[in-house]
Amino acid sequence: MLFLQLLVDGLVSGCAMGVVAVTFTVIYTTTQVFHIGHGAIYTLGGYVVWYLTEQGAPFVLALPVAIAICAAAGALIQQQLYNRLMQRNATPLVLLIGSLGAALVLENTLAAVFSPNILNIVTSWGNQTISLAGVRLSLAQVALLVSGPVLFGGMVAWANYTALGKRTRAVAANEFLAEITRLEPRRVHVVVLAITSGVVAIPGALIALDHGMHPYTGTLVLLTATIAMISGGLGNLVGAFVAAVILSVVQTVSTIVMPGQWSIAATFGLFVVLMIFKPTGLFVRSTA
Amino acid sequence: MQRNLLGSTCCVAMLLCALAAPAIAQDITIAGILPQTGPSAAVGLQERQGVQYAIDEINAKGGIRGHMVRVNFDDNQGKPDQSVLAFNREVDLNNVPVIITGFSVPTLAMAPLATRKKVLMINPAAQSNRLGTASPYLFNTMPLTRDETEVLVSYVVRKLNKKTAAIIYENNAPGIDGRDDFTANFTKLGGKIVSDDPVPPGDTNFRPMILKAASNKPDVVFINIVSGDTLPQFNEQVMQHVGFPPIIGNTFATPAMSLPGSEGWYYTAIRGSLPADVEQGMKDKFGLKDVSVYSREYYNATKNIFAVVAASLIDAKKPLTGENFREELLRIKTFEGIAKFTFIGNTAVRNIDIMQVQQSKGVKVGEGTVE
Repeated sequence: MLFLQLLVDGLVSGCAMGVVAVTFTVIYTTTQVFHIGHGAIYTLGGYVVWYLTEQGAPFVLALPVAIAICAAAGALIQQQLYNRLMQRNATPLVLLIGSLGAALVLENTLAAVFSPNILNIVTSWGNQTISLAGVRLSLAQVALLVSGPVLFGGMVAWANYTALGKRTRAVAANEFLAEITRLEPRRVHVVVLAITSGVVAIPGALIALDHGMHPYTGTLVLLTATIAMISGGLGNLVGAFVAAVILSVVQTVSTIVMPGQWSIAATFGLFVVLMIFKPTGLFVRSTA
Repeated sequence: MQRNLLGSTCCVAMLLCALAAPAIAQDITIAGILPQTGPSAAVGLQERQGVQYAIDEINAKGGIRGHMVRVNFDDNQGKPDQSVLAFNREVDLNNVPVIITGFSVPTLAMAPLATRKKVLMINPAAQSNRLGTASPYLFNTMPLTRDETEVLVSYVVRKLNKKTAAIIYENNAPGIDGRDDFTANFTKLGGKIVSDDPVPPGDTNFRPMILKAASNKPDVVFINIVSGDTLPQFNEQVMQHVGFPPIIGNTFATPAMSLPGSEGWYYTAIRGSLPADVEQGMKDKFGLKDVSVYSREYYNATKNIFAVVAASLIDAKKPLTGENFREELLRIKTFEGIAKFTFIGNTAVRNIDIMQVQQSKGVKVGEGTVE
């Protein structure tokens, strides 16, 4: 029973992590920017929902507003920061520093406005629990478990079957060619940042609902999502999601067989071994 | 000639006026090296509020023997490297003789500098055991984790007859110290540790550790989670598990107590309470619902230790140097403030109460001290 409960807990965390990894992968493959600010956008989603629910708005209304605000923030970062830097032929390192700056500005703005304390979204239902086959889950966890695969499927479908998705993949595949065929890569970048930032607000808000958040919550999440993106096979959406879930489950379930202080080291040790033997990642075929 | 005479008269008059004017007492400047940004800033802010309130109170009453007190709050982000930079900035540029610190790791990083530069450091809340011997210039106004743990374990084993325990601790210096102290004391008295698992600092997902602890069916679960603002999440996640064993903790666990789910839990509390008017004043000034233990302890350290020692030095006409502060503190030895506390060594001896949550309130059920 302990194994089953830990497995499900790992799946829940993995679903949230997976959405961050998938959206981060889309951003990276399309814009070639290592968008560290994505972690802060994830946190921003939680903060917007927290603020609105504190003002009396129901969670289901606050969430779409958070999605819209995060989408706008993502688009703004791309348009006003990355596009400008790209126009000036900034090197990847400069873009990385710019991204780090955006993340720090966002995180510290949240800390200054809302305090660095851990904030808890209070709803009448978030912490109610249900029991399924002996596994006890909060409703927030159930929402994460359901929304993760749905958002992942949605992102894959968007990338493969919509005109905008195909256009995005074309830009990701060859930006120069996309430029001369008038696919307007810069505009595509802005739209991609808007969509991915809006999507990542959902796990951000649900995780905040489940176990609170602070302004720096997104940093560690993004680190794990980055590892998932690389170990899943750079540019592969399925790989990023599956790797995130595996990482999360291994990290959680491994506490059964080893002292907890070793579980993170063991999980990331596995990643190092994987990189040595398969540096291209688990899933090498590119789908994005 | 007449003009020269007039000019000379004016000069003499001005000189006489200057000599006759009462000397303006120089300000006393100290530093508060505390996290104001970063993950530790929530606690750092509470600590700053305690210091600020005490300083404002002192200055409102005319300062210390007429000397106004200024405090430079220097943000160390809760990091050791930033703490060292802040220390050098305050000591070398601003010549502060006294520094109020926070958090174990930053304080430990600054301790060798305090020894070398002879600067008094007052640590009102960090509890890592290593702070006890880190520097002859570092004074801890709260008992260290080993002291609290010894009192708690003695009560749990001897009075409550609990024989097995699981541990959930925060993976940082004070968290690990607490785990080690609890393990050593519990096993010494014949108890058995069935599991011990860490939580990354600041993490709010405790579920894997809670599940693992519960699966080992211990008599009690000892928690040593230093980041108090994560504890409401801990309580909520514990409540998901029906029949979870009783929880025991030290001062760090205080924010969890009296929250839903904490009925029957035990914790230690360093004895001390603010005067009602001070507590209300702090609430009003900073818009607080409750005054945290951190604000309380930092207020106390500033008002009842630093200011008392400074006044004593001024009375004795001794310069306000770090070395003199240290010697005077050890000479005074016993202080009255939010509680009575005595410095036999570098760490204050104070009463430790055992509390139990009964009907959502902490009720004293035992007590002890460690010298």
